[in-house]
Amino acid sequence: MTLAATAALALPTPAMPAQQAMAKTQIYDPKSRKWVNYDSRKAREYYNRNKKQPPEAFRMQVVKFRTAEKAGTIIIDGNQHYLYLVQPGGTAIRYGIGVGRDGFGWAGRVRIGRMAEWPTWTPPAEMVARDEKARKWAGGMPGGPDNPLGARALYLYEGDQDTIYRIHGTPEPWTIGLDVSSGCIRLRNDDITDLHSRIEVGAKVIVLMQGAALYKGV
Amino acid sequence: MLYRSMISTLILAGMASVAAAADLVISMPNWPSGQATANIIKVAIKAEFNLDAEVKEMGALNSFAGLEAGTVAIHPEVWRPNYDDIIRRYVTEKKVAVLTGHSVSAWQGLCATDAAEKLGIKSVEDLENPQKSRALDTDGDGKGEIWIGATAWLSTGIERVRANSYGYAKDVTLVEAEEDVAMAAVDAANATGQPMVFYCYSPHHLFKLHKISRITEPAFDAAKWKIADPGDPLWISKSNAPVAWDAARFHIAYGAAFGKAHPDIASFLEKIDFTEEEVSQMSYALQVERQVPLEYATKWVEDRKSRVNGWAKP
Repeated sequence: MTLAATAALALPTPAMPAQQAMAKTQIYDPKSRKWVNYDSRKAREYYNRNKKQPPEAFRMQVVKFRTAEKAGTIIIDGNQHYLYLVQPGGTAIRYGIGVGRDGFGWAGRVRIGRMAEWPTWTPPAEMVARDEKARKWAGGMPGGPDNPLGARALYLYEGDQDTIYRIHGTPEPWTIGLDVSSGCIRLRNDDITDLHSRIEVGAKVIVLMQGAALYKGV
Repeated sequence: MLYRSMISTLILAGMASVAAAADLVISMPNWPSGQATANIIKVAIKAEFNLDAEVKEMGALNSFAGLEAGTVAIHPEVWRPNYDDIIRRYVTEKKVAVLTGHSVSAWQGLCATDAAEKLGIKSVEDLENPQKSRALDTDGDGKGEIWIGATAWLSTGIERVRANSYGYAKDVTLVEAEEDVAMAAVDAANATGQPMVFYCYSPHHLFKLHKISRITEPAFDAAKWKIADPGDPLWISKSNAPVAWDAARFHIAYGAAFGKAHPDIASFLEKIDFTEEEVSQMSYALQVERQVPLEYATKWVEDRKSRVNGWAKP
């Protein structure tokens, strides 16, 4: 399935009430050389129609990637919705990611400070204050298939300090490739599980200043 | 690397802790070619003079303060024009440090990925055109972004001055970030054929990794290059430089007192004749091939025994 197949998504969705409106993104399809609308409602339909797979560009794949960074380094390009795991021989494993609406809001060099399987999610205080569903989990939501952190969480540290940013799984795999409302970097559960199996605590993570965009709008 | 560190760092460069009985100290910059040249000089001095040199990573200000105090003997890469202010202070006025006559040619300026060039971003005039620079927008605010260097680099401040002087600073976001973050951004941009413009310098391994082109600019004109003393907190706003950087080069420096005490080593340092191509190879070997600086330097000297011997001959 190519990105061109997402042309079916190209028509803007009818106006929705603001609270229901979700982020829309355009993806550049290098094959058709056209910008293709890609929004979350359509993405979910597309995902369900296509054997629960995101568009091809956002599936885990090995790509050419020439870099001076050593194998095992993670490079996050939030703007293009890609996470690279550098491999030997001028390649990288590329994963599609969903990005918090504001991305990380910073760029820099951090490291994987710790990792967790089926992690507990504790909503931030401001979310507890405004969201009744979140209030239920103020003391922490146990790990599981409905937990927002998904199957694995990689906690980003600067030195010995938790940055509060995480790379994690998601119970909403159709959001991969989208800007979504929450603030971290999410991968499909299969992908985060794969990434988790390939790295160790201490791995270098480079969060790019917003990388060159395949996306526009939103 | 084209900057003067404004931060006093003193970090052992990931090497085994140094014997306390070192005969001299070589300051080591924190960029790959500087790590290579510092270690090559260390290995060559051991081979030719049987002296143990301790290599210590430190910024330029600390290095020159050390040359003056006698705690540092040699600085392997003194970049000009970036260090000219320091050179004036320590070499010309105080006469506590000496620059060797030989220099390695270099340049610095702005570069573009292949995709940016194909979009017509080829000259600094193109950056002054918001219609064109918008193609460099990656955060959705309608303004392009340009990496201008790491916060600690003197060249970063000068790039800000140049952006103000040319006028593109008002339409472009000038990004400061560590070099490895910026280089990873270049890698990602190239992997997906995206446009990016950034501060660049040569010798650098980047040019062996990617197809990169230089942004053209009006030639350097000393009459238009008005950079205030970086010691002044308002130096950026007081400066103006709407022209390209002057041709760059770097020299080895050594302490004047050290040179008097060791005229044979001073003469040896004067004869070291690294080339730009060699320095690029050093940078690539350390940064991309991930060779260990001391191991690389040992082999480098071993492979060029007669040349290194020639440097040491009176």
